[in-house]
Amino acid sequence: MSQGSQRGGSSSGVFKYVADAIDLEFFLVVSDEEEARKVSIEIVRSLGLPDPDVVFVESMNSGSRVRVRSYINRVGSRYSWLSLGGGGEKA
Amino acid sequence: MRKLKLLLVALDPAHDVGIRLIGKKLQERGHEVVVLPRDTAPEEVVRKALEMRPDYVLVSRTIGYDFDPLVRLIELAEAAGLRQTTKFVVGGRAVRPELAKELGYDAGFGPSTRVEDVVAFIEGVEVREVSPALKREKPDITRGYTYEIRDEEVRSLLLEIARKTLAWAERRTSPGVERARLVFEELRTYGRRGVDMKKYLSLCDDRVVAFYQGSPEIKGVSVVGEDEVGSLSKMVGAYDPARRVPTVRHTTGKPLVFTQFGTGCPVADVMAIKVSEAWGADGVIHFGPAWEARTEGLLSGYVRYSGDGTPTTFENIKLYARFKDSTTLLSVRAHRGLNTPETVVLAGFAGAELTKVNPVYGSIGGGTDPERLVVDAVASLKYAAGFSLPYDIPTNEELAGVPPHKAFAGMLVSAALGLAVGAKPVLKPLACLSPHIILQGYMEDNYVDYNFAKVMALREIIDAPIWPGEPIGFMTHSEDRVQSSLTTAVHAMIMLSAGVDAVTIASSDEAYSGGPISLMARVDTLRAVKEALRALGRARIVPTEAAAKFKEELKDGIRRVLKEAAYYDNLAEAIYSEVFGTKEEGAYPGRAGRNTVTNR
Repeated sequence: MSQGSQRGGSSSGVFKYVADAIDLEFFLVVSDEEEARKVSIEIVRSLGLPDPDVVFVESMNSGSRVRVRSYINRVGSRYSWLSLGGGGEKA
Repeated sequence: MRKLKLLLVALDPAHDVGIRLIGKKLQERGHEVVVLPRDTAPEEVVRKALEMRPDYVLVSRTIGYDFDPLVRLIELAEAAGLRQTTKFVVGGRAVRPELAKELGYDAGFGPSTRVEDVVAFIEGVEVREVSPALKREKPDITRGYTYEIRDEEVRSLLLEIARKTLAWAERRTSPGVERARLVFEELRTYGRRGVDMKKYLSLCDDRVVAFYQGSPEIKGVSVVGEDEVGSLSKMVGAYDPARRVPTVRHTTGKPLVFTQFGTGCPVADVMAIKVSEAWGADGVIHFGPAWEARTEGLLSGYVRYSGDGTPTTFENIKLYARFKDSTTLLSVRAHRGLNTPETVVLAGFAGAELTKVNPVYGSIGGGTDPERLVVDAVASLKYAAGFSLPYDIPTNEELAGVPPHKAFAGMLVSAALGLAVGAKPVLKPLACLSPHIILQGYMEDNYVDYNFAKVMALREIIDAPIWPGEPIGFMTHSEDRVQSSLTTAVHAMIMLSAGVDAVTIASSDEAYSGGPISLMARVDTLRAVKEALRALGRARIVPTEAAAKFKEELKDGIRRVLKEAAYYDNLAEAIYSEVFGTKEEGAYPGRAGRNTVTNR
C-alpha cells in the first residue's frame, strides 16, 4: 500500500479536486535511466502520492528529463469529484 | 558471434510491427528466427517453443491494461520446464523493466526502445554506436557568403553612411573604448586581467570600483567558490561523449540551432550548456544582466547574480568555453551597453566563436546613448575583425514597435560598418509577432508570409548569413509548455523553409518570468524542434503570394530610411533624429553614457 493510501487515501482532502492524475515533471541530475526511474518514483512516494509510474524518461549526458505520474482517481474506484456536487465546491 | 534460435510473438490482437521489425533485424544478422502470428495463444507459443528449443522467446504486448497472456505464458513455460534453457523477454508500450521482472520475465523493454537495443541485448553485447557526437564538426555560419551588396542603391547608401560614420568615430573615444584597450593589452601581454587595476577602475562606475575593493554594492552579486567549479569539473569530465543527440537538425545542414543561457550563475550556465548540447543544440548564447549594460566596467572572477542574466566576466566566459564541446558555438552578447568593446575583447580571448553588436538597437531599444554606442561599436567591430569573431546584429527594436524596415535599415548599417573594418556580420531579423505587424494586420492569416518576406528581402539586398532570433516566434509564446514548444517548432519549420542559416530557439519557459529557464524547459523545446525538422526534412512550407508583396514593401522602406540616414554626418546623428524609429514607434535614444565621448 502506498503512503498516500495509508494516510487515508490521496483522493480525500484537497486531492479530491484532481480529476484523474497528477504529473510531476523535472530534470534529474543522475547517471542513467535506471537511476532516474528509481529517484522519480521515490520523489512521488515522498510526497505521499499513490502508485507512481514513470510516463517518460530520456537520459543523456548531464541527466534525465522525466515525467512521472500518480493516479488520484482510477477507473473502478468512485471518482472523488462526484462528491463536489453540480457547481463544485470552494477549496 | 554464435547463431541463436529465436521465437518471436506478439501476444496482442493488433500490434505486432515492433516484433516483426526486431525479427527482421535478427534474421539479417544470421539468427534462426520464427515469428508466430499475432495473438497466438500462450499454449501454442509454448508448444512451438518445446519443438524448437529457442535460446530466447521474445513477446510483445502493447495494450497495457491486461497482462494475463503474459503471466499465462510464463506459468506454462515454467510447467513445461522451458525456463532452464530459454530466456523470456517482454516488450511493449506499457512494459517497464520492473514490471517485466514482476511478471517473471528475464528482461523487459519499454517505450522508446530501439530495435538495435533489443538486438544488442540478445547478442549479449553493449550497444556500441559510432558516436555521432564525434562526427560533429564546428560549423562556420559565414562560410560561403561573399557579402556582396546586390541592391545597387542600397550599396551606395550603406557605403556612404559607413564611410562618414567611421571617419567621425575615428576621432573619438570613450571610457568603454579605453577600458577595452587596457584589457586587450593586459590579456595579450600577460594572459590575465588586473595588471593595471588603478587605471581600469578610474574608468569604471563607483559600484564596480566597490566590487573590486571587496564591498559589493550591486545587490544580488556574489562570488562562486572554487570548490563549486572543481565539483563541476569532475562531474562534466565524467560525461560520455557518445551519450548525446548529435544535432536537432535532420537531413539538412541548416539551420543551426542555438539556445540562450544566463541563469545568473556560471555553474548553472554550464549545466544549461551541457544539457542543450546533449539534446542537440549547435550553439549557445550568453546573456548578461540588464544593469551591466548601464554600468561602466565589468566585474571579474566567477561571479553570479540573483537576477536576470549572468555577469560577463573573463573567468565566466572562459568557464563556458572550457566546458562546452569543441564543436558547440559560443556567442557572447556585447551589443547594447557601455561595455560593448570590452565584452568583444573578453569573448575573443576567452575562446568564444561569435559575438553580437548593433549600435542602432542598443541605442533606441537598449538604453545607451547613440553617440557613445556608435563610437564603442566601431571599436568593437575592429576587435571582432581582429579575433575573426563573426558578429550578429539583432533587430529587437521591432518588439518595441519600430517597423521592420527601419530595424532592417539599422541592421544593414551595422553590417556595413563591420564589413568596412573587415568583420563578418550575421543578419538577425526577428521571426516574431511584433506590435507593428499586429497593427498592420500582416499576420492575421498566418505566420508564414511576413517572416518569409523578411528573409527574401534581405537575401535580395545582400549575400550574407541570416540567423533569425532572438528567439524565433517571439510574442507567440504562452506560459503553457506544449503551446510554447509547438510555436517554437512551427517557427523553426517556417525558417528552415525560408532558407536561413541558423535560428535561436526559446525554451518552453519563454513567457515565464519568475525565474531562470529550467533545464526541462530547454529539453522540451529542443525535442519539439528536432521533431519539427524531422517532419519537414527536405520538404518546404510555401508562402502565399502576399510574401512577395511584403518583401517589396520592406525593400522600399529600407531604401527610404537609408536615403534619409545618408543626409546626416554620422550614424549617431541619424539615430538622434529618429531616422531609425520615432518615439511614437517606441524608439527612445538611450541616456546611459551620455556626454562620455571625447575627442582623441
